[in-house]
This record gives sequence, structure tokens and C-alpha cells, in this order.
Amino acid sequence: MTIIHNRPLDDIAETAPTIAGNAFTRAFSGGSLWRLIGMLVLILILGFLTIYPLAMLLYGSLHSTPPGMAGEFNLNGYRSIMTTQNLIVLANTIGISLAKTIPSLTIAVFLAWIVARTDTPFRGTLEVLITLPFFIPPILTAMAWGMLANPQVGVINMVWRWATGATDPLVNIYSYGGVIWHMCQYSIPFLFLFMVDAFRAMDPSLEESSRMCGASRWTTFRKITLLLMLPVLTSSFMLSFIKGIETFESALFFGLPAGIKVITTDIYESINHRATPDYQYATSLSFAIMGLMFLLVIWQWWMLRGKSFQTVTGKGFRPSVMELGPWRWVTFAFCVLFFFITVVLPIGQLMLGSFFRFFGFYTYDMLTLEHYRAVFANSEFWRAVRNTMVLGLLGATATMALGAIVAYISVRTRWRGRNLVDSMAWLPWMMPGMVLGVGFLWAFAMLPGPIPIYGTIWALLLAYIALGTPVSVRVMTGAYHQLSYDLEECSRVHGASWFQTMWRIMVALAWPAFAVGWVLTFFGIMRELSASILLYSVGSETLAVVLMKLWANGNAEQVSVIGLMMMLLVIVFRWVQLSFIKSRISKL
Amino acid sequence: MTINTSMTSAIQKASAIQKWSRRVFMAAAGSLAISAAAGLPAFAQDAEWQKLIDAGKKEGSLVLYTALVGQPSTKQIAEAFTKQYGISVEVLEARASEIRERVRVEQAAGRFAADVMFTSEGQTMLYDKEDKSVDPLPVTPNSQKIGDKFKLKVPMASVMTIPYGIMINTGLVKPADEPKSWKDIADPKWQGKILSDDPRAIGAGYLWFFSTYDKIGEDYVKKVANQKLVFTRDQRESQRRTARGEYSIYMPVIMTDFSDLKGLPVKFIIPEEGVPYVLYGNVMLKKAPHPNAAKLYLDFMQGPVVQKIYASLGYGPVLPGMTEGLPADVKAISEAKLYGTTDTTRQNEMLAKSKDIFK
Repeated sequence: MTIIHNRPLDDIAETAPTIAGNAFTRAFSGGSLWRLIGMLVLILILGFLTIYPLAMLLYGSLHSTPPGMAGEFNLNGYRSIMTTQNLIVLANTIGISLAKTIPSLTIAVFLAWIVARTDTPFRGTLEVLITLPFFIPPILTAMAWGMLANPQVGVINMVWRWATGATDPLVNIYSYGGVIWHMCQYSIPFLFLFMVDAFRAMDPSLEESSRMCGASRWTTFRKITLLLMLPVLTSSFMLSFIKGIETFESALFFGLPAGIKVITTDIYESINHRATPDYQYATSLSFAIMGLMFLLVIWQWWMLRGKSFQTVTGKGFRPSVMELGPWRWVTFAFCVLFFFITVVLPIGQLMLGSFFRFFGFYTYDMLTLEHYRAVFANSEFWRAVRNTMVLGLLGATATMALGAIVAYISVRTRWRGRNLVDSMAWLPWMMPGMVLGVGFLWAFAMLPGPIPIYGTIWALLLAYIALGTPVSVRVMTGAYHQLSYDLEECSRVHGASWFQTMWRIMVALAWPAFAVGWVLTFFGIMRELSASILLYSVGSETLAVVLMKLWANGNAEQVSVIGLMMMLLVIVFRWVQLSFIKSRISKL
Repeated sequence: MTINTSMTSAIQKASAIQKWSRRVFMAAAGSLAISAAAGLPAFAQDAEWQKLIDAGKKEGSLVLYTALVGQPSTKQIAEAFTKQYGISVEVLEARASEIRERVRVEQAAGRFAADVMFTSEGQTMLYDKEDKSVDPLPVTPNSQKIGDKFKLKVPMASVMTIPYGIMINTGLVKPADEPKSWKDIADPKWQGKILSDDPRAIGAGYLWFFSTYDKIGEDYVKKVANQKLVFTRDQRESQRRTARGEYSIYMPVIMTDFSDLKGLPVKFIIPEEGVPYVLYGNVMLKKAPHPNAAKLYLDFMQGPVVQKIYASLGYGPVLPGMTEGLPADVKAISEAKLYGTTDTTRQNEMLAKSKDIFK
């Protein structure tokens, strides 16, 4: 009673339409001061993690010299990016990104549906296996695909020539197709992981009603399944599309020989391959891109405004699967084919190569375990493993906690400032990694002396949290969109405290999404190089830095050994996580 | 209190050493002949040097930044240095542009973390002229013994040269057809068969462009541009691609990599004209926290121990007489005639030219 009594009027008006007194709001409505302080703290944290480094970059784009050097404010950076050539490169980049995002999303949706909603055989195993390429450093899959599909002596082309007697190659990885294919290799598993739990958490009764009312399977899929998935799908699209604009390795590796230019290779060149690094140009170009990307975020808000996507309600949540009959062998075959092409081919190369002195020279006398021995005997590697594990465990947990809070506020409350925190959490995703890395360097190094962040492991941790937040927020947003408010209500009505409600409902039901987000973030941290190389200090090397050093010195085989070990770790993580989810769901 | 006192004494010592360096430099520049004749200053120098050694040992450690990424020799040298002086070396590696920006920002923010930077002559010019992040070089016993060619105007204590040449796939190129010189690369028979480091961006390809453009001429470079070169920016992976038979020739290749590729069907060729090269050395960073250890390290890197390590890997030493007793193939690379290198002051002009020629 008191709680209701104390609620300010405008607050009731604000929360009235969709949320009518959910547990969280009510619990906090008694102390709107505390709520205000909480929001302010959150905004401060996000501000430090995202706005502060971006502000340093903005300074860099508006100033003739980078921070700490005498110079003047001018718009030369922005002026210099306004060229016809850049416009062509931009169009090219957008084209490439669309060309990879659309097929990736389609395939990922299909795979997620197969794994989560059908009775396809071995789908549990397939769920782990088809995501493996995502966790391998891109440079390794690039090398593997270079060996498989180069036009001269690529394995695929050799087999093709031998089988058909043709002289022309079947595939050429050094082409637009190659660049897009290599990007898909990462975006399909990423999107799959991102979406699969949303598919799993969907109440099948909605689909069943549609079928009962006479809709065909296809119509049901389109009008019910896809529509309910709209928040997840639009988020997926945006995450993938924006990442596609910023992807760099594929374009550098496969695009450069074919003369394909994208925005990020241009930025890379302006920092690394000019007489003096042109940070003003690089940052200006990045901000221009960021502006364009933000339009997408606004588009998503507009799409999702005022709609409800709750599928997990208090009423008999019963995740069941569709029985496909003989068709289940078709879906199974699709998964196996996908697994063979995207996992067995490239990773098989890496695995095979790691046992020979040189990749691609598979003769008996070249057989060796020296690469494994070298890696295991490398003390720097073990130090990096320790550092990376600590950073990964802490970083992924902190990032997911932050992401869950931001997502909760943005999706399940009508608090003032919720859009602000949501958009702040998007920001790091829209800045190409190599530029954002420089932003963190400037930001942390320029902090006043007594704040001991730069040169410590904290600098890395904070950068990783900032870099991971966009994904964590998107993952949790998708999950919270699906939870019905009556669950919170019900818990409160039955006398659970606010914290119990949060724990039992908001955490326990969103747990699978949290776990997936955690794995994505953890391995994101493991792979991150752009910021790491600028922030690590003596003794705090990360695995990515060690991999870079080995690669730079031509130890591709050792890099593969480490890549394979990372993959093993993924299998363990995912297996634990999936068995946990299964035991949870069966208990529900 | 104790800390304060020891810090003050360290600072006093540091400034004493700086004075010493200046004094020795004056002596070296001005009256080397006279003092050598007198014989006394050599003894005085020894005493001063001993003082510096003691001060360096007291500092106990050294922070080295290096732009030469992933080289096992870095660790080997650091260990040798620790063995000689008891001073530990902490190494931070990153690529040239990354490590330069780190030093610049650290210094701008008043964080003087690093003592020595191992980098190229071209980068040193930028550190010196643009960032103003380096101190003048000290004169040390070994710094006077290196070849005159390697005594530079920029404040870098030269250590070694990285030589670049031509690599061929022996399965695709018959011995009779092997290119012997840079000029042979322009032969039309190689059209479409050459994998090349990208000459349009700072790196090995650009180094080749710069030196051959200067020494052979624009016509030659244009002829090579007509060869339909395929560009790459990953030097080590490109060697492997050539070894696997994707291309007949890869150029320019880091000659010292030959030992890593033993057993593969490739051959490293020292072009008749000579090898374009990058000169690497150490710079003293401003307000180095361990200035005396840094000076010892600079000296050590120019001394016979390190010079022999580099020579044995095929790099060109700056101290004469270091290649004796090496296996013939290593010796040939280590002693290869130096052809040309890049000039930082002309970089914008030359990059534009390269982009124009290699569209």
C-alpha cells in the first residue's frame, strides 16, 4: 500500500500503458532517488567506457594532431574524406556487407530453426560443431582457405581439374566471392549462436494455433515464427551488417590481391602504411561511418516501437519440437554439408598441417610434433594463457552483468534515460576495432597520473568490457523481449521479494541467453588484438598478442596449434553450457 | 625518507652520467687524435665507463620497446645482456606504427615507461623530428668502432641491416631461367607469375620500389608494373604461398628467412645489384627511467656478442669482422652488398609515385 501511495503521478503515467506496475518498477518506485542515483552511476560507467574513448577520437578527428601534441582545430580530416573515390569504396563496402549479411542471416535462421525447433537427429552435437569456425582466429581460416581455393594449386581446384579434366579453376578465393565467403565463415556461426536460444525459448502454442487456423507451414513460419523473432532478427541483422562494414582481415587477405578496397583497409593504410600515420583522416572516416550506422539503430527502434514480442509467459511454457518425419534427414543432411564445408575443410587443413613441418607439404619425412612441443615449451605462451583466462573470465562476467542491466532497463522499464543507456551501449560496435583501440590508448594514457589504469591489466579489462557490451546488451535484449511481464507479477504476488523475483525469473529464465552471450564475449576477448596490442604492458601479454608475434615471425603452424587448443576449449565450454541448459529446461 | 634519498642520488648520478656522455662526445668529436696520442684519457674513459656500469647495475632493469616483432633473437640478446651485466630486460613488442603511437602518447601524458626503442632508421627520424621523443645518443666504447656508413645523423645507434632479395620456387623455375638480378624481374616471361609485397604502402615492396627507382630508373619500374604483379602484405605467408606453387617468384623477400624454410622447394637469390635494406638500431627515449642501463644496452648491441648473433642469422652487422667462420650460405647473405634504402624525407613523394605507377 505504502509503495503505491508513494508513487509519483508522472511516474504512473509514464509506466502505465504496457508495464502497469511490474515488479522492478514497483520495488524501486518507493525510492525514485535511489533509482536516479542508480541510473546516474550506470550512465557514468557507460560514459567512461564508451563516450570517453570516442570523445578522444572525436578530438583526434577535429584536431590537426593527435592528443598531446600542439596543433589546431580544423575540419581538414572531414574535408579529406569527401572524395569520389571514398564514395565508391563506401558503396563497395556496403555492397560486400549486404552480400554477406543476407545469406548469412538466412542460413543462420535456418540452422537455428533446425537445431532448436525440429527433431533433426544429432542436433545437440551439430549445435556445438557448426559454430566452431567462429572461435578460430580469422588469419588461420584465411590461410586454410588460401590453401584450399587458390586458383593455381588449391586443393579444391586440383580435385576439380583431376575429376573433370578442365584447365580453368573452379573457385578463386582471391575475389569478391572469396572475401564474402570468408566473412560468412564468421557471421553464420555468430548469428546462429545469437539466435538459437530465442528460437528455443519460443512458445510453440503460437505456431500450433496458426496451423490449427489453417495456415500452411510456410505461412506459419513467416507470419508467426519470423515475426515473433523480429527483435532478435533485426538485432542480428544490424550486428552482422555493421561488423561487415568493419571487417578487415578478409578484405586485406583476399581482397588486396584482387584490387578490392573497403573502408577498413583504407583506414588501416592511413594509420599503418603512410609516411606518418594520419589519425585525423582515420578518425574522421570512422565517425562518418558511425553516423551512417546510427541511422540503422534508429530504424530498429522505430520498427520495434510499441510492439510486444513476449513468447515466454506464465502459461505452460512447453518448448517442444516440430516432427519433420522423413524430412528430418534432409535437414540433417543440410547441417552435415554445412559442417563439412565450413568446419571440416578449413579446420581439417589446420589440424593436418599442425603435425607436419610445413603447411601443405604432407610427406612422411615432414611429419613432426615439433610445433606442439614448441608451443608447450613457450613460457610466454603460458603466461599469456593465464592472463587471457583471468581477463576472459572477469571480462565476460562483468560485460554480461553490465549488458543484462542495460538490457533490462531498456526493455522492461519506462525509465527516463533508458534510450540513452541503450544507445551508449551500441557505440563501441560502430567504431572499427583498430580505431577504437587507438581511442582506448589515448583515453587511458591521458587520464590524470594518480588513476592507475594505463599500463596495467585494468586497461585491457575495461577495453574488453567496452568492446563486449554491444553484444551482451543485444543478447540480453532479445531474451528480455521474450519474457512476459506476468511472470514478474506472479512471482511478486506469491510473496517473492524483488531480489528473489529478479533471480528466479529475470536471471533464471534468461540464463541460456546469458550463457551464450558469455561465451561470445569470452572468445571475443580471447581474439581481440587491436586494443590489446596498444594497451598490454610487459608481463600482461594476451594470447592474441602472442599469436600475432608468432604469425609475424612465420610460425603459422604454431599459431594453428594454439588455434586448435582454443577450439577444444570452446567444445568443453559449449558442452557444459548446453548440458546445463538441458537440465534446466527439463526442470521447468 | 630512504626512498627519497636514493632517488635523489640516482638523479644526481644520472645527471653526472649525462655530463660524462657530453664530455666524451666532445672529446670524440674534437680532440680524438690528440687524446689518443696522450694515452691518458683512454684510462679516464675506462674509469668513467666503469662508473656507468655500476650505475646501470644499480638500476637493475631496463624496459625495451621493439618494432621488430616475434624475433627469437630479441630474447636471446636480452638474456646475453642480463648475463653480462646482471640487468634484467623487459620487452614490449608491437608493430612500428603502434609502438610509436604508444611512446608518443605515454610521453605526452608524462608517463616515461620505456628506456630504449629498437626500430628502423626511418622511424627514428619521425621519433626525432615529429614526436621529439628521443634523447641524443651517448658515445660509448663500441659506438666508435662500427662502420662509418652506419654512423648516422639521426640519433640512432645502428645495430644491423635487414637484407631483401628474390625468392623463387625451384619446382616452377628451371635453374637456367633463374633471375639473377633485379633487372631480370622485368623479363616478360614472368608476367603473372610474380607475387610481390605491395609497393604502394610503407613496407618491403615500397623499399624495393624506392631503391630500384632511384638506382635503375623509372622505366625499369614501369616495366615491372606491366608484369601484372599480384600484391600481398603478409610477408611470411607469401613465402609459403610461393613455396606451395601459387607463384614462381616472390619479391622482395627477407633474406634471413631462408633458414626457416629449409626443406621447402624454394631458393633465395641475392640480386647482382645488391640487397635493398632496412637499417635497425636503438634510440634512447626521453626521460628514460633507467638511463644508465639503457646506455649499456646500446653499447652492448653494437658489441661483438650481439653483432655475431645477428650475423649468424644472416643480418648485416655494423661492426666489421663479424662474419668469419659462418657457414657459406649465411655468410653470403650477411655480407651481401647493400643496395639502397628509403629516405623518410621523400616518403610522400615516392608513395604517390608508386601509387601512380602500380595502379
